[in-house]
Amino acid sequence: MSRHDPLWLRVRSVASVVVVLAAWEAVARAGLVPPLFLPAFSTVVVTLWGVIRDGSLPEDLAISLGRAAGGLTLATLAGVLVGIAMARNRVAHWLLDPFVALGFPSPKIAFLPIFILWFGIGSLSKILLVGFACVFPVAIGTYAAARGINRVLIWSGRSLGASAGVLLGRVVLPACAPRIFAAMRVALPVALITTFTAEMVGGGGGMGATLMYSQRFFESPVVFAYLLVMLAVGLVLDTTMRRLQARSPVLRGDA
Amino acid sequence: MRRLARLAPLAPLARIVPLLLFVAAWHLVGVAGLVDPAFLPPPGRVAVALVDLLRGGQIGDNIAVTLLRAFTGLALGATAGVWIGVMMARSEVFDAYAAPLVGATYSLPKSALVPLFILWFGIGSTTAICATFLACLLPVVVNTHHGVATTPKVLVWSAQAMGFSDREMLGRVFLMHALPDIMTGLRIALGFSFVLAISSEMIAANSGIGKLIFMYGENGTYDYMFAAITSVVAVAFSADRALLAVTHRILRWHDSAVPAADAA
Amino acid sequence: MRPAGTVSDAKIEIRGLSKSYSTGHGSLLAIDTVDLTLAEGEFVSIVGPSGCGKSTLLYVVGGFLSADGDVLVDGTPIRGPGTDRGIVFQDYALFPWLTVRRNILFGLERRDVPQAERDAVADRLIGVIGLKGFEHRYPRELSGGMRQRVAIARTMACDPAVLLLDEPFGALDAQTREMMQDELLRIWLDTRKTVLMITHDVSEAVYLSNRICIMSARPGRIVEEFSVDLDRTLPREELVVSEPFNRLRNAVWLSVRRQAVAAAHADPG
Repeated sequence: MSRHDPLWLRVRSVASVVVVLAAWEAVARAGLVPPLFLPAFSTVVVTLWGVIRDGSLPEDLAISLGRAAGGLTLATLAGVLVGIAMARNRVAHWLLDPFVALGFPSPKIAFLPIFILWFGIGSLSKILLVGFACVFPVAIGTYAAARGINRVLIWSGRSLGASAGVLLGRVVLPACAPRIFAAMRVALPVALITTFTAEMVGGGGGMGATLMYSQRFFESPVVFAYLLVMLAVGLVLDTTMRRLQARSPVLRGDA
Repeated sequence: MRRLARLAPLAPLARIVPLLLFVAAWHLVGVAGLVDPAFLPPPGRVAVALVDLLRGGQIGDNIAVTLLRAFTGLALGATAGVWIGVMMARSEVFDAYAAPLVGATYSLPKSALVPLFILWFGIGSTTAICATFLACLLPVVVNTHHGVATTPKVLVWSAQAMGFSDREMLGRVFLMHALPDIMTGLRIALGFSFVLAISSEMIAANSGIGKLIFMYGENGTYDYMFAAITSVVAVAFSADRALLAVTHRILRWHDSAVPAADAA
Repeated sequence: MRPAGTVSDAKIEIRGLSKSYSTGHGSLLAIDTVDLTLAEGEFVSIVGPSGCGKSTLLYVVGGFLSADGDVLVDGTPIRGPGTDRGIVFQDYALFPWLTVRRNILFGLERRDVPQAERDAVADRLIGVIGLKGFEHRYPRELSGGMRQRVAIARTMACDPAVLLLDEPFGALDAQTREMMQDELLRIWLDTRKTVLMITHDVSEAVYLSNRICIMSARPGRIVEEFSVDLDRTLPREELVVSEPFNRLRNAVWLSVRRQAVAAAHADPG
């Protein structure tokens, strides 16, 4: 079998993950690092099973995912609206462009205290902050897509007597769908990081809050267990979105 | 059309008008008594607070600390990221080992590592820099990898036919071809560096602009909190524009001298 | 003025060269035992239907792809790419981040050439290709014809003994192509380099070459050879309407067509 054989390369890929986990276990077992800093992988797995069984992890996960999903939904609705308005209307473009230009590069997490001040420490402030953080990539993606629509497409729609509403639903939105979905894929990690950080800073339950709480009480195995779950959540959600995009002709953009 | 052309030098002013309208509306909402000024300090008071903070040096000092952390993490992350990205693109074997680790950590929300780093390094700059480093690393890795891996064969072959070895081609061909992608990755990383530095300061720190914002929020001195947030937006915006200007300059040769992300 | 087959010595020898690719369903034979010898200073064209592996053959001679069989330059088997063989690609392959001048000088960067000599080389070649005033432009600011001239100059700057041309004018419009062919002919007459050119343009092959090899569709094999013996003292306008030029052109064209038809029969769809 050659060094560059596809199967052999896949074996190496699995191997690198196994090696990392084994090294982790070995370092922890050998007592090279205090368990407070690095609990053994096996201990973390046992702890993980424990927090799943007693229902605390599923509850935290449901809270966090709910907030992230709520914020991302809000951001998609608002972002598509803003993006299309900016692309199709000059006044809207003039009015909104400076805010998008200013908001896109700014670290939205800095606004967290304002959201807490206005909407409390519960879910509402977090959902709105996530929406605020995610609206910019979606708006910019939609704007770029709507600007790029073939004019002939719109002209031919008009000449066939399509109303503005029909044009939007039948021509503009489907043509923008791939870019909007791509922007949502960009926004997804932003939604997760904003949710977790807001929970770590502001409390109010969820994965981030428990993570912070466990760290304060030096429950390292719980910290690692929650980190593993966060990693898995990001991976699963991104893979799902990628598969969805690959399967659906509308989202792939070759419908 | 000709009238519009004559107005062209005023275009930057036209872009400020909506912002001024926004500030006016903000002011009027307060004057009309629609909201409690405790929840939304009027723009005048925020401006006074901003001047006060600038004079007192609180903003300057804390932003300097935050920028130092953000840029240290960014510089380390970008350097390591370019190196790893090149290695992954040029060596199938290295790629086989690194790809699953990059893939797995790419979607991990990096701020979640802050509690772990606090456990390891305590509260302070090391924690913030480590988190920033990891967040900046991955977009640079992914973009560099893409840029190097998509180098057209004919460019490589042309250089080979002129006697260049793989090592000699690295800086002359592969990295140059990847430069537009590296700059894209760098822009994403710049955004992350601010988010992570400020997040880790809000989670736990003794200094930095994130800490300052959070402190004013806890104390209820909201005009100062708004002023500090305004300064963060201004700094992040300026840094992004500066990077865009640099990108524009060093990519003069490129077809789209302005990256696509500049849609706004 | 250009007697066909002035054999001084074999510059390039291709012996029993075969190339197969492994695909998902086994291996695919792209080139089947090609033998070809180019004399020093000879201009040989390979013409064939698309997908016959003629570019692959050129890449093997360039040393970019490996294959079964031998390729010898000056009697020595090649080991990978070398500065003795310069190549010009259809899509120019200029370095987009370098100006015209820096592109031309790229190959001299790693050689011990004094600055004054480099400047002289650059100035001379920029003059030859008629791009004075464009030295500091980037490739994206040039037309296709200008880019291809820069690509040729870049290869000439390294002064290779052998020129490999991969459909060099395929991406140009008809008028620019004719102009570039004349320029190439002039450069070749000046320098007498050994040239191996891939093309699908029969007139181009007849106009430029000493010898034309016809390649069959996949697997590529050299099925027919034409030696070109035309009166090169005639200007282009007269030559291309002359009886010998057109007789040869038609003969080559029919030969290529036979291969294309055979390919269509062998692989319907």
